Amino acid sequence: MIDISHVSKTFHPRAGRRGTQPVTALDDVNLTIGDNEFVTLIGPSGCGKTTLLRMVAGLTSVDEGLIRVDGKVVRGPSPDRAMVFQAFALMPWASVLRNVAFGLELRGTPKREREELARDLVRKVGLAGFEKSLPAELSGGMRQRVGIARALAVNPSVLLMDEPFGALDEQTKRMMQEELLRIWEMERKTVIFVTHSIDEAILLADRCVLMSARPGRIHEIETIHLPRPRSRADETSAEFIETKARLWDHLRSLQLAEEPKRVGV
Amino acid sequence: MRETTLTRVLTSGPVLKVIPAVVFLGLWEVGANWKDSLLIPNASTTIRSTFELVQRGETWEAMWISNQSLLLGFGMAVLTGIPSGLLMGRVRAIEKMADVWMNVLVVLPMAMLMPVIIMSLGFDLRARSLVVLLFAYPMVAVNARAGVREVPTDLIEMSRSFGAGEAQLWRKILLPAAAPAIWTGLRVGLGRAITGMILAELLLVSVGIGRLLQLYKGTFQPGNTYAIVAIVVAESLVLMAVVRRLEHRLVPWANDDAFSRT
Repeated sequence: MIDISHVSKTFHPRAGRRGTQPVTALDDVNLTIGDNEFVTLIGPSGCGKTTLLRMVAGLTSVDEGLIRVDGKVVRGPSPDRAMVFQAFALMPWASVLRNVAFGLELRGTPKREREELARDLVRKVGLAGFEKSLPAELSGGMRQRVGIARALAVNPSVLLMDEPFGALDEQTKRMMQEELLRIWEMERKTVIFVTHSIDEAILLADRCVLMSARPGRIHEIETIHLPRPRSRADETSAEFIETKARLWDHLRSLQLAEEPKRVGV
Repeated sequence: MRETTLTRVLTSGPVLKVIPAVVFLGLWEVGANWKDSLLIPNASTTIRSTFELVQRGETWEAMWISNQSLLLGFGMAVLTGIPSGLLMGRVRAIEKMADVWMNVLVVLPMAMLMPVIIMSLGFDLRARSLVVLLFAYPMVAVNARAGVREVPTDLIEMSRSFGAGEAQLWRKILLPAAAPAIWTGLRVGLGRAITGMILAELLLVSVGIGRLLQLYKGTFQPGNTYAIVAIVVAESLVLMAVVRRLEHRLVPWANDDAFSRT
């Protein structure tokens, strides 16, 4: 279980940069995420969704408040909260197999054991046969599968995904969404998934958290009442369309609330 | 252009390498004969002199004497340059402290340092090696530093996220990622080291190849003078080729192609 409690974060401009104000990325954010829950974070740029994700990962520090995962306070990164990166972050000099096994390699797992585990995951994410390939030889979608496999390999309590399909073209993105749903069904990890796409956010999530910017706050939480397992067909269901309309309404109202600030009225 | 066997042969590596050489030698031969100066040998004379010199024991003795400073100086440059460069890339404080000095080393005309070196170390092998070291070190260090600084933050965060300690980070991420830049530094540094090797013998103490160069020049043997230069150039090319070979074998992921393919 993830407990985000009264979390705030302010980014200060580097010394000497005149004219830039400190940015309140997050202001008193509270959120509880249950075990095996799939939560998506959406919102306009600057709403703090990536910052929040990185704080759960332990890559960004918390200014105020506390984040607890399974009762323990987050003080730094850990393979228990494994991350999938938007830009894949694969080692270009290593094979798919070695990349997937990397977390286990760092842990000290013996070579044979970690290669076996990695092979199994490579198969699970649909990359069987590509174990020896280098990242440069793979497409974007395939590289992200490696990233997902790597995160799953360390058997984390939480999977943190930072716009994982953001760098992919539309078709590949849609395919990867379905792949992720399929993989997630195999073992339902707790997931926090940051995205810009409302469709994606609704399709994948149990709950969808909409955040607002300046300062970063939780604006609205939508529970998605679509049954599991999900599929592409759900996109045309009434529930999906209504939820999407509601979220768009919220987003629009957020944007309109922004306008007067920008025009200076 | 349509790709036929002829075009493929004409644009192949060996052929493309030979074309400028042939053009250069041709221009040289014609130009030297036309100008007809006593002191400028033409290409054919130079080539003949080179062959002749290569057969003299004296030439190889000189090569060995000169190259001792290269071995010692460049060896030290690598041993000190890589670690210091890596440290500068990783620890902001160290980089800030060293920055000015590095810039000074890169731009300083070595000729100005010579008197200082003579006063401190005299005229021996140590002094020559120091010159080589000073020529090569900045290149090796600066490239190593750049290599570490350019490692994508993503990769570093990823490894931390999966539990890497500092030692693991170095061994598994920073060093492999910085390796291509380090090798570039070695290559460029080696080129500068060879320059330093010869300059030390011209400006500092006359031994080895430098001595021969001055000897042939002073006794009006233009063919041999140019031939000695050619021999040094040949050594540079051979050493560079060796480094490139090693580079290709040890860091095969180094090459990102920016060349157009049309």
